[in-house]
Amino acid sequence: MISLQHVTKIYRNGTVALEDVTVEIDKGEFVFIVGPSGSGKSTFIRLLLKEEEATKGDVYVAGKHLAKLSRWKVPHLRRNIGTVFQDFKLLPDKTVFENVAFALEVIGKPKHVIDQRVPEILEYVGLGDKLNNYPDELSGGEQQRVSIARACVNRPLVLLADEPTGNLDPSTSVDIMRLLDKVNRIGTTVVMATHDQAIVDAMRRRVIELDAGRVVRDQARGVYS
Amino acid sequence: MTRLESLLHETVAGLRRNGLVAFAAISTTFIALLLFGLALLISRQVNLLIEATTGNVEVAVYLSDPVNPDTVQALTRRLTDLPVVANVDYETKQEACERFRDLFANQKALVNNVDCGALPASLRVKLHDPERYRQVAAVLEGQPGIDKIVDQSGLLDRLFAITRVFRVGVLLVSLVMLVSAAVLIANTVRMGLFARRKEIGIMKLVGATNWRIRLPFLIEGLFESLVGAATAILFLFGLKVAFINPLYDTIEWMPWISNADVLAIVPWLLLAGTVVAILASLVGMRRFLDV
Repeated sequence: MISLQHVTKIYRNGTVALEDVTVEIDKGEFVFIVGPSGSGKSTFIRLLLKEEEATKGDVYVAGKHLAKLSRWKVPHLRRNIGTVFQDFKLLPDKTVFENVAFALEVIGKPKHVIDQRVPEILEYVGLGDKLNNYPDELSGGEQQRVSIARACVNRPLVLLADEPTGNLDPSTSVDIMRLLDKVNRIGTTVVMATHDQAIVDAMRRRVIELDAGRVVRDQARGVYS
Repeated sequence: MTRLESLLHETVAGLRRNGLVAFAAISTTFIALLLFGLALLISRQVNLLIEATTGNVEVAVYLSDPVNPDTVQALTRRLTDLPVVANVDYETKQEACERFRDLFANQKALVNNVDCGALPASLRVKLHDPERYRQVAAVLEGQPGIDKIVDQSGLLDRLFAITRVFRVGVLLVSLVMLVSAAVLIANTVRMGLFARRKEIGIMKLVGATNWRIRLPFLIEGLFESLVGAATAILFLFGLKVAFINPLYDTIEWMPWISNADVLAIVPWLLLAGTVVAILASLVGMRRFLDV
């Protein structure tokens, strides 16, 4: 599903973010990317979205060689990838329903699909009764559920989560992890960048540890360190 | 359906958020296109005037009644033999009458009151070089059957000189205004992009195409400019009715622009507005939208 072959990323200012990284992630896997700030976790995610291009090496996502993917096809790549961030990225002037519907509207899905799928996915993430609330009426955990619903509503092959529990308290974080696990169990490949040690240790999933842009550990049922 | 709906929804939301700047863009476009339209109408009016006074020839040789066909032939031959003459046309009394009726189609009273028999037949001469009118006059001097020779190039030159200054001036001002309108539209588009950068970020993340992201802004720019254009068109019609219509009856000797003439420039105004809006919107969002 995701494959990085000897990938090096050097930013224009000379910062080496990733160095000779080779990683294979299969369909349906759940993978933690761990490491201290500046170790290259975010760059890893940005490469998969083609927000950045690898300086050297090859990146494959969902069977596509990203370096050869023309710019106008990038949106179609991203329709196969759901993304979740630490800061939720919800639109404050739209309701929960509208926030999730927005993701389908802008890729041209017809209204009957939206009206069917949005309540369905919101029910799935446990917000079936908050369709008409605004984000600022929700707790942090609930907001993150909305953003997960938005990421999953188009049934992506891959879910990328960049520090999804970074703004949440420990017990809320556990709820979010349960949800991500649930998403993973229906076949979605989940890649989660985090430095939340307790969560990584509790989940016992594959852990890829980055340090200064290099893979220093890739362990099947790992813990944080 | 939802595509169109959500597009329009975004456009309207954008316009509302940008109210004041959008208004500035609309009014500048309005003034620019109003001046542009005025310049076009002035051109048209001048052309009508030229047509009326000269029938688009430089030298008119009016023939005395009754016209003898032999005289016409002889004079035509003499004229075409001159190297300076480009073209000679014979206009019968009947043709003169028809041209007159076309020109003053707006002024029915005038047309009805003029007896067509009073309009003289003429030879209408075009010259390669209007300055050498004297040659023509010299050749025709003393020939029989000629009532009057009128050199219209002098009159034309003066008319052109005056109206050219006026026309070019108005056109220049309208051009400057069009450029400012474009800058203002580009600015509203840019402000809209900035206000909605979060939304745009999400749209990119979930895989909206660049055109899907751009379209609402393009429509917004188009809307502003076309509202400006529509107002300008209404205003031009208003000005025409208020200032030209009374002249139909008071200054009868001159042909005046008609509603059809105003209608004829409408496509040009719309075209100018559309082109300006599209260019401005594209410039406004160029920097913002790299994937």
